[in-house]
Order: sequence, then structure tokens, then C-alpha cells
Amino acid sequence: METREIISTGNDLAAIAAVDAGCKFFGGYPITPSSEVMHTISDLLPAADGVCIQMEDEIAGVASAIGAAMSGVRSMTATSGPGMSLKAENLGLAQMAEVPLVVVDVMRGGPSTGLPTRVSQGDVRQARNPSHGDYRSITLCAGSLAECYTEVVRAFNLADRFMQPVIVLTDETIGHMHGKAIVPTVEEVKKGIVPRKRFDGKPEDYFPYECGGDEPAVLNPMFQGYRYHFTGLHHDRRGFPTEEIETCRKLIQRLEDKVMNHTDELELNEEFMVDDLEENDVLVIAYGSVSLAAKEAIRHLREDGIKAGLFRPITLWPSPAKRIKHFTDKIKNVLCVELNIRQYTEEVERVSSRLDIEGLYKVNGRAISPFEIVNKVKEMI
Amino acid sequence: MARTLMRFTGVGGQGVLLAGEIFAAAKIKIGGYGLKTATYTSQVRGGPTVVDITLDDDEIFYPYANDGEIDFMLSVAQKSYDLFKSGVSEGGTIVIEPNLIKATDEDRKRWKIVEIPIITIAKEEVGNVITQSVIALAIANNFMKAIDKETLKDVMLSKVPEKVHEVNLKAYDLGYKYSDEALEKIG
Repeated sequence: METREIISTGNDLAAIAAVDAGCKFFGGYPITPSSEVMHTISDLLPAADGVCIQMEDEIAGVASAIGAAMSGVRSMTATSGPGMSLKAENLGLAQMAEVPLVVVDVMRGGPSTGLPTRVSQGDVRQARNPSHGDYRSITLCAGSLAECYTEVVRAFNLADRFMQPVIVLTDETIGHMHGKAIVPTVEEVKKGIVPRKRFDGKPEDYFPYECGGDEPAVLNPMFQGYRYHFTGLHHDRRGFPTEEIETCRKLIQRLEDKVMNHTDELELNEEFMVDDLEENDVLVIAYGSVSLAAKEAIRHLREDGIKAGLFRPITLWPSPAKRIKHFTDKIKNVLCVELNIRQYTEEVERVSSRLDIEGLYKVNGRAISPFEIVNKVKEMI
Repeated sequence: MARTLMRFTGVGGQGVLLAGEIFAAAKIKIGGYGLKTATYTSQVRGGPTVVDITLDDDEIFYPYANDGEIDFMLSVAQKSYDLFKSGVSEGGTIVIEPNLIKATDEDRKRWKIVEIPIITIAKEEVGNVITQSVIALAIANNFMKAIDKETLKDVMLSKVPEKVHEVNLKAYDLGYKYSDEALEKIG
């Protein structure tokens, strides 16, 4: 793949990636530490035949992005934890009505307004189910500057493939750090775009929600001759509200199966220095900016003769259950490092069927340093 | 080169961020890795701000400077100095703006404290207080010898609008002039 070098911040890279991936609409309400995503995309979009609107609040930000997506274009919003809470209801609507959308969440300390300028990974559990009801959230997590670009591109492609919101989690550290990123060229990004499915038959034969049991809806752009109803209520094949027993059951089962039967298309992990790990060695599980400290820690540990490696899920939800279990079955010493309290550790416990997973957590808005990880590992073994 | 860690501290609004970006870009330009991170508070103006700069020939993962490993710190506000000085390695260099910061005798034993009135130079000699960031850049580079002087100058010019090239060049040269004098004094 052809690549290029960009020297920038994670937030700017996310904005650049969106435009390169063909995003034509951004609706949002700037919030620390995500504001630069909006600042930058507001410069880029008008020059790329797109529109950026600062809405009156977070709720209107996501609502406008949903509306734009229904017109057929790629659409995005960006926010941080407090904004995710406000957007939750509309994210549920987009799940139910099957509207593709990218949401970048640059995480800061929470709950509530929390620590606006400080790093956290407190939104991991929330990203799994931002709103009520049964559906499967797709959540990606950037662990480097380059991934602030590549994961936003991937999110757009997955949103159109699965017809639902895709959340990209980054955090204050990665969003604001400034350095070199090697990313695909714009041509490579364009080559990777698979347009949303479209129905080309007669308008009277169009049933957007009539599809295979594990397939997404086929929503044609609105106002182009194909009519359908749009609702958060349980709905029939044309989108009109219904309480018919089988239709309701099938709809929600399909929202589950369209994701869970295709996790192979979603899973993406990094495995760093794990190939030589044996039973008594150390596996660190970390994601996002924490994995940067974990990699430095692993370098130091290996210099000290301790064999350690990192497993880093890039797609957090659905979790890479089989791959985690592969490692947790093999390696005794497993350490989860997170800027929250056990939000992903609980998932690791679930998929590994182990209750002896060690943890290193920090929730005061400061990063976990490599040496804290080194010390924790040395305590464990 | 071994890893170089520098820390610039001030208060929000002083504009210490730019110098970090210039350092990172210059190191990447000559072949290598550079990262800048900034930590600040939710106060728009007046909260302590710290910029960490890491430069290395090898890939850098963790973007913050580990406390105790910082080779060089430059500070232009007392509260930031007090808060962040402990991160500087023993015997490391700390450049302070003497009109705004008082260093204790203990500090002077532990670190090489260098007094350069950066803000006064920016205001009175350059005539634009914002150029303190470029003065700081030149001083830091002169102490650390991290990047070739001319390369860093070129990258700096590429990062500031053309209409202010002249004042920033003046600031850059003054940064070198004052740090040359300070280095001479230290010997």
C-alpha cells in the first residue's frame, strides 16, 4: 500500500481522514478535548464540496449528522464523554433505523463534566451500549497517531457496510499529541471505499427493511424517488410502526445477528512481542494511548530479562473474544492496564472465564507511565 | 542520538505550544522521531501548562517525559516551575525568566539554574511578546544541541506566517545570543 507522512495531531488526523474517506457532512458542538476535530474539518469540508455546521448543542450535532446520512452522504460528528451521554438517545435511533454514521469520541475524565482537559478511557463501557435496547455497537479504538487516521477511514467503511453508527474512541493524549504519522495515500483510501448498498428496482418494490436475517437494511438516499418511513419504533419492511409479534422479534434479532455473525469483518488487533510468550511469561492487555506506555514498558522489561508482550484490541466492541481466550488459556500472568476501573478487564474476565486477571488502573486524569507498568509486572511475577 | 527530553512550562495563553511542534517537526525532517504533548488545565488563561518534547532516532511510543528523566526545562511562570521542576534529572538544566520566577538555593544546588529574561527580551528587544516561544526554542536548542541551528530555523519559519518572519528571525537570533552568553558564564 502506498503511504505518506503527515506531521500532525490525532484530532487533526481524524478530521483529515474523514474528508479523505469521502465525508461530506459534519454536525457538532465543540467540546474539549475533541474541539480540534471540528475546527479542522470546518476548514476542510467546504473546500471538498461538503458542509460543516456548528449546531446549538450536542444532541442537535448528532441529529443533524443522522439527517445528512439519510440523504446518502457520509456523515460524522465528534465529541467527548459528556457529549456521548447527550447523544445517546439519537445513537439509539440510528441503531434502530439503521443509519450509518461515524462518531469520534475523544475521551476525557468523567463521569459528568469530569476533567475536561485530562486523559481517560472512561467511555469504553458506555460505547458498548450508549442507549437502551438490544443492538451491537461497533467501537474502534485508535492506539497511535496513524490510527486516528486509519480507524476513522475504517469506521466510515464499516458504517456503510453494517448500516449503523460506528464509534471511534481516541483520548486526550492521542488527540493532542503531535508527531509523525505514516498513513495511506488519498488514492489508497478512495480505492478502499465500498459505497453503501442501493436498491435500483421500481420504487413500489422497495422494502428497505426487508433483508436477510443477518443483513443490514438497504436505505436509499431520501428525496430521490424511493419512499420509506423512518422511526425509532419497531417497524415493518417499509419502516412503518408495527407491533406484529414476528416482525418485532425478527427486527431486533437481525440487529444482533447482522453484527455478531460477521465479527470476522470487524476484528482487528495488534500483537506486540507475543510470539515467544510461554506459560510463565507476562501478557499485557491495553488499548488506546495506554498501549504506548505498555510498549515502552515491554521494552524495559525485556531488557531486564522479563518476557512480556502486548495484546491490543483495535476493535473494542464486539470484543476479539476468541483471540483473547487463546492468549489467556496459554499465559498465566495477564495484566489489564486501563485509564478507568476495570471497564475492559471485565470483558477479558468474561471471555477468558478467569477471575485472576491482574489490573492496573488510573482515574485521576493523568497518564499511566511505562514505569508504573514495569513495577506492577515485577510485583506480579 | 540518545533520547532527548525537554519540558517547557508556563501558564495558559503564553503560547509555549508552538516551540514543541517546531522541535518535533525538525527532528522528523532530519530523519527520526519527534513527539510533542501538552498538558493544560480547564482554565482558558492562567492555568499551569506543560509541554513535553521527546526526540529520538528510534520510534517513540510513550509521549510524555518520565519524571526524573528530563534533561532540560524552560519555565516562564512561578507556579508551573514549582509544579514541574521535580521532573528534571539531577544536574539537568532549568532556564527561568528571572523577573517571574524565584529559584531557591536548594534548587540551585540540584540543577543548573540559568536566568534569561525571555519575556523582557520578547517585549522590549523584539517588540512582540508572542515571540517568546521562538526565543525559548532557540535557547533550548542551544543548550541541548538537538537540531542543527539552520535546520531548526527553516522549520520555524515554515510554521509561522510570512508577515512575521522578520520578528521571529530576530527572536531566534536573540535566543541564541542570550543563551551563548549564559553558556559562556557556566563554562
